[in-house]
Amino acid sequence: MFDKLEKYLSPVADALSKNKILSAIRDGFLITVPIVIVGSIFLLISNFPITGWSEMVASVFGEGWETYLDAVTSSTFDVVALTGVLSIGYCYAREKGVDKIAGGVVALTCFLIITPKTHIAYVNEAGKAFSGFSFGNLGTSGMFLSMITAILSVSIFAWAMRKKLVIKLPDGVPPAVMDSFAALIPAAFAMVTFFLVNIIFTNTAYGSAHAFIYEVLQAPLVGLGRSNLFEVIYQFLSTLFWFFGINGPAVTNTIFSPIHKVLTQENYEAAKAGIAMTNVFTSAFSDFFCNYGGGGSTLGLVILMAFTGKSNRIKTLGRLSLPAAIFGINEPIIFGLPIVLNPLMAVPFIFVPVLNTITATIATSIGILPITAGVQLPWTTPILFSGWLVTGSFVASLFQLAQLAMDMAIYFPFLKMLDRKYLEEEAITANESDELDDLSFDDLVLE
Amino acid sequence: MRRVYLFCNAGMSTSLLASKMQKVAEEHNLPIEVKAFPDSKMDNIIAEFNPDCILLGPQVKYLYEKVVERYGHLGHPIFVIDSTDYGSMNGERVLKAAIKKMKESEAK
Repeated sequence: MFDKLEKYLSPVADALSKNKILSAIRDGFLITVPIVIVGSIFLLISNFPITGWSEMVASVFGEGWETYLDAVTSSTFDVVALTGVLSIGYCYAREKGVDKIAGGVVALTCFLIITPKTHIAYVNEAGKAFSGFSFGNLGTSGMFLSMITAILSVSIFAWAMRKKLVIKLPDGVPPAVMDSFAALIPAAFAMVTFFLVNIIFTNTAYGSAHAFIYEVLQAPLVGLGRSNLFEVIYQFLSTLFWFFGINGPAVTNTIFSPIHKVLTQENYEAAKAGIAMTNVFTSAFSDFFCNYGGGGSTLGLVILMAFTGKSNRIKTLGRLSLPAAIFGINEPIIFGLPIVLNPLMAVPFIFVPVLNTITATIATSIGILPITAGVQLPWTTPILFSGWLVTGSFVASLFQLAQLAMDMAIYFPFLKMLDRKYLEEEAITANESDELDDLSFDDLVLE
Repeated sequence: MRRVYLFCNAGMSTSLLASKMQKVAEEHNLPIEVKAFPDSKMDNIIAEFNPDCILLGPQVKYLYEKVVERYGHLGHPIFVIDSTDYGSMNGERVLKAAIKKMKESEAK
């Protein structure tokens, strides 16, 4: 059965990772992650989860101290479409094999071309309308448009480059001068296209490309992300890929991560506007309440291995992988226990994250687990800290502990069976060695 | 100095293995540098350092064809780390395998 499943899954992983558009979007958003995490730290300080915090700091630094921090938060969270379009453009140019930073800048420019620059709602005394870009178009609601723009503009740019639609200068002009003109015609092609796109959308009922993509594409997709099954499907698929030894999130994130990102950002914007946050399935929820210790939620398993394992193999591996597991890294046990294609471990490995997701979803909907506050932390943040920081409540840390205990209870019987099997094997087999073990480094001198 | 570079999704678990391999190399006074990187940085890293051997973590073995297609012409060995050695983080065996492949490719 596993062989058959692998036959279907491997080509999917292969196709998704080879797809240049999806890789560019995934890698592009990865570039923006550190920026958003630093912004999150500023967001955390200005909304630190301690009652009376704001007044306490105000008594030292004076009222309005948050404004300075918000300048940083805002420049990361509120312009994600802008940083996104630049970095996706850069990554797509890399995939296409053309000048990377030129591609990124062309994408950024094209995005700005189709972004509305006036706000008729804001008119000053002289009757002049506000002129400039508004956060509303550069942040969350522009995210899907930023992906489309980056891919489309760089495609045009790369196409023109490949067609050699560049300015030819007479011999004798230094090559460096030639290079500086190389991007000119391709950039012009991309920009003129978006010049036309802007004219078309401005004259439709939508008024702008932003409104069109938001209503036609982003809102329905993000709507899917609000359905109860969304996170369960994501966790199930990610773990299923891991079971076959394929980095699951690396595959599934190509599709799910933009939706997670938008859901997270919407909570941030709701909190900022002072309205209730409604999105359960944020990146933080996915990282910190569905999975502990890497794919398959194996932190509990590793603890059991290290402290209850009887066979040498399990005990040693458990102790070796515990430090990494605390930070969410578990490849040593995925390949070492192994979990990959191990029928005994398939059931707990695939269903523990699903069960975590279901219990956390229920706990959130009945109000035990607070909703995550738009803060984004590295997925390596350890259990307990992560729960507290993303919700601002210790209840979340306690909830994480309860889930960890549940995970351990589920893994325990399966691990015991494996442990017994390994003990028997260890009793029989003497040390086996192969060619690599027989080789000494003296035989391997490189000239 | 030979460069043996490892790649996986975030360069995290491979960095654990890389540090173990580096330690073995130092113990045996081998002029080898072992480092780990996320696969998204592969282009820049290979362009800048032109490593003598490219190793992929077993969890990204699906990248193998893409990597060979892109960098195979450089003539350096590219291979996926054995998953048992990866699981036990056996730096010595992986390092030996890497040196063996480099020797084979240089003998050609």
